[in-house]
Amino acid sequence: MNYTLETRNVVKQFGGLTAVNDIDLQIPERAIASVIGPNGAGKTTYFNCVTGFYTPDAGEIVFQGKSIIGLTVDQIATLGIARTYQNIRLFPAMTAVENVLVGHHPRLRSTWIDALLRTPRMLIEEREAVIKASDLLDFVGLRGKGDSIARNMSYGDQRRLEIARALANEPKLLLLDEPTAGMNPNETENLTAFIKRLRDELKLTIILIEHHMRVVMTISDQVTVLDYGEKIAEGTPQEVQKNPAVIEAYLGKSAVTGAN
Amino acid sequence: MAENIQKGIISGLIVGVVMLLLALVGFVNTSAQIISGLMGKTVENGTPASLLVFLAIVSFFGGMFAIRAPHHIAKSWAFVVVRSALSGLASGLIVGVFTWIIGTELASKVEMRAYLNALSPDNVRVMTVDQPALLAGLTIFGLLTAVSLASGVLWHLVTLAGIGRLITGVWTDTVSEVTSNPGVQRVASSKTTRYLVYAALILTLFVLPRTFNNFIIHTLGTVGIYVLIGLGLNIVVGLAGLLDLGYVAFFAVGSFVMALLTAPFPHNLLWSFWPVVPICIGVAGAIGVLLGVPVLRLRGDYLAIVTLGFGEIIRILIKSDDMAWLTNGPKGVTNVGQPILFGQKFNSELDFFYMIVLGAMAVIFVTNRLEHSRVGRSWIAIREDETVARAMGINTWFYKLLAFGIGAAFAGLGGALVASRSLFVGPEDYTLLVSINVLALVIVGGMGSIPGVILGAFVLKGIPELLRDLDQYRVLFFGILLVVMMILRPQGIWPAQRRRLEMARDDEPVDLTQSAEGAAK
Repeated sequence: MNYTLETRNVVKQFGGLTAVNDIDLQIPERAIASVIGPNGAGKTTYFNCVTGFYTPDAGEIVFQGKSIIGLTVDQIATLGIARTYQNIRLFPAMTAVENVLVGHHPRLRSTWIDALLRTPRMLIEEREAVIKASDLLDFVGLRGKGDSIARNMSYGDQRRLEIARALANEPKLLLLDEPTAGMNPNETENLTAFIKRLRDELKLTIILIEHHMRVVMTISDQVTVLDYGEKIAEGTPQEVQKNPAVIEAYLGKSAVTGAN
Repeated sequence: MAENIQKGIISGLIVGVVMLLLALVGFVNTSAQIISGLMGKTVENGTPASLLVFLAIVSFFGGMFAIRAPHHIAKSWAFVVVRSALSGLASGLIVGVFTWIIGTELASKVEMRAYLNALSPDNVRVMTVDQPALLAGLTIFGLLTAVSLASGVLWHLVTLAGIGRLITGVWTDTVSEVTSNPGVQRVASSKTTRYLVYAALILTLFVLPRTFNNFIIHTLGTVGIYVLIGLGLNIVVGLAGLLDLGYVAFFAVGSFVMALLTAPFPHNLLWSFWPVVPICIGVAGAIGVLLGVPVLRLRGDYLAIVTLGFGEIIRILIKSDDMAWLTNGPKGVTNVGQPILFGQKFNSELDFFYMIVLGAMAVIFVTNRLEHSRVGRSWIAIREDETVARAMGINTWFYKLLAFGIGAAFAGLGGALVASRSLFVGPEDYTLLVSINVLALVIVGGMGSIPGVILGAFVLKGIPELLRDLDQYRVLFFGILLVVMMILRPQGIWPAQRRRLEMARDDEPVDLTQSAEGAAK
């Protein structure tokens, strides 16, 4: 099996608090892997370790066979790891197309000297980038809204735009941090289907942090459960659902013992 | 009704206090002089009539101020009359009583100047309109009340008649009709039109100043210098969002490099002007990058404080005794070299104005090209959210340094031109106040907007020149202007516009897999 991302014994501490403790995780190529767990379980901290926002205190993170420990955030993004944020973080004053173009940044080659001289290669590259950005906006369902200022877009559109921006990186690995937060059941269902399409059509590997159990159980190939920074269960959705440790983490001890 | 009474009195109190303040700092007299001047009398002091005109003008605005209300509130006649009349009464009471008091004091020969400079006997005589104290007080009281009431009624009539809306309505209709006409659109967006506009602009800039006197050309040149360095700071603050309060340092570096290389003292190098200009740009840019390396790890307020410190350090270094062997210390450098073109001296005010305009054009060209490219996008992304910009693969460290370096290089060019134009550079010309002025013009003009910065430079450097008539109150009015500006238009006079990029497309939505194929590879 080829793994897109392997993390071995990753530890991240903040002072005396161990936010992520000894996490081992293998994400196979083209899998949708969900990371779930109660609030404060260390899910987002784990994302931040993978994307380089935090340097783990111990452990290895291997992306496509190469260790990415010690690389800077922008180097990791350039390798092809893109992410979205739990609370939307677009560039509010820029238009939708510009947001996507910023996402496309690591795939563009022209330098500031090209920009100054307006070299043909820069002009061609820019034109192609704009076409590509419009295509991506089409793809996420924002056709015709490319010139709206991100700040003025509706919540749902902003979520889509954030995904388009991440896709513009042409990533191999996409990390989605609670993509359905704040969505109604209908929107959630659409997004679930959309995430599946990202994997099937764009051949992406996806890691998902999600609280909607229906979403997690419908599309995940693999589910990892974190609690207090530790991995307490792993497996297919069905396996995880039956795991007593998981039930305990979510519902308390009495739910496990008292149920019988 | 109770609310109307309350609001009316409050408005009146505000207007009254403002007038009182203006009288106490002596502005009432200055304005009376200006008005006398406008009425064709050259006088040492204002005349009583001109004072009344001034009070009437202020009161007129007071009445307008008193009846302001949100659009959705329908104003009844009671509303208008009560508010404007009470406002006039309240302000009239304050100013009238004040006039009465100072009139009485004057009559009993009290030397009020001991307490307030503005209350000299001559001034007080103007303020009391040359009448006995009580009569003067009553006159002013009556005048303010009547004018305020009249103003309120007049504005209400104007609103009722819908004159304002009529004018703006016709205006917007005409504008939208003209701009939506396809022919007009085609002509307006064609390249020929654009080049014609450029040509006209250049012609105006180069030919028109020939008819101006040296003072105006000098002022325009100063404005041009501020456009130049303002555009530099615009890249740093407006585009990349790095709050730099030590920007004057790079301006100083440009000036001193020009001075030290071309002046006979202290080094007697006497280099010619032209090759030194690029050296100034290069040295300032390099120092910008060097300063940027340690400083750009910081963000926001911390960056502002540290750059402020660096700006001061550079000035103090230039001034210090230890560096005097290099920079001639606090004495500064005189006899800075001036340009020679084809064997002719090229150093009149007009010549420098041309050079400044050319410099500003070059800077606009560079800014424009960088802004609408991958580089400019990265800068704006850093400004909007630096953390996310990094996560998009932008090497923020490099782009921040680039912004700093280019901004500094522009300041270096400005500094070189200023040094040569004024023949002298001294460390005290490069204080924090210059940094703040440049920052203010970028903010007032509109951050990140080239036309905004140009307008900002005209407003901040040009208007103070126009306000010379107000002599010592110039700065006061300038301050009021800035405050009003920030309340009415916080985004700046001409805020930056985002360009439209999305293609107008008629085809069906793209097939996802096809366009995705490349992405997955």
